[in-house]
Amino acid sequence: MDRDLRVEVRSDPKLLSSIRSLVRRWVESWDVDSKTAGEVVLAIDEACANAIRHAYEGRPDGCVELTLHAEADHLEFQVSDEGVPCPPECAERRPLGPPDIDNLQSGGLGIQLIHEVFDEVAFCPGKRGGNCITMKLRRTK
Amino acid sequence: MGLTIDIERSSDETLIRVAGEVDLYSSPELRKTILAAVPSVEAGLAIHLSGVTYIDSSGVATLVEGMRSAREYEIGFVLVAPSPAVTQVLELARLDSVFEVR
Repeated sequence: MDRDLRVEVRSDPKLLSSIRSLVRRWVESWDVDSKTAGEVVLAIDEACANAIRHAYEGRPDGCVELTLHAEADHLEFQVSDEGVPCPPECAERRPLGPPDIDNLQSGGLGIQLIHEVFDEVAFCPGKRGGNCITMKLRRTK
Repeated sequence: MGLTIDIERSSDETLIRVAGEVDLYSSPELRKTILAAVPSVEAGLAIHLSGVTYIDSSGVATLVEGMRSAREYEIGFVLVAPSPAVTQVLELARLDSVFEVR
């Protein structure tokens, strides 16, 4: 589709704000309500932040690729990196709450928020090593 | 939009006023400010969040860590006037009942 987007950004946390603006504009162009759009922006931000923090271990010179793609019945988002593969147990969905705040890890919370926001989430190895997260949001219209 | 953090100290409560976006880039500054403030606070620490336009899991984890630290020092820790952006993420993370909110 002609409104699909693919962007590559450096793994620099300074750039997350620009990624969020881009995702918000794109999602809202598909008549997604403002609350859902906010949740999608959060979840994509978390996926990119995970790539920066964990896959690239904080190095700002890695590449994070983001694709935004629309199908008739869903919006599909992909975040990929070429960093350290995420251990499978980190990608698992765990029930949120009642919160065990003494053991809360922010990285783990990010993954759980991604599961919470999207209808389908798949963690796969990336094309050139690393990780690829595919996230699908059903369209209600 | 960046992050601004202001501290107002009074005898009974220290207020940390946060505005802007709290994300992976900016949350370390907030973490440093909160954790540095806790030991010198006498009664309680209040984190004013009405001006926060965005918060991610690293920001939420920062608030949880601040609360834990406040508990160790046996001082109060309260979130004041959280913005809709903050409330939405706390609810999504099922952490909305964990904090005292004013």
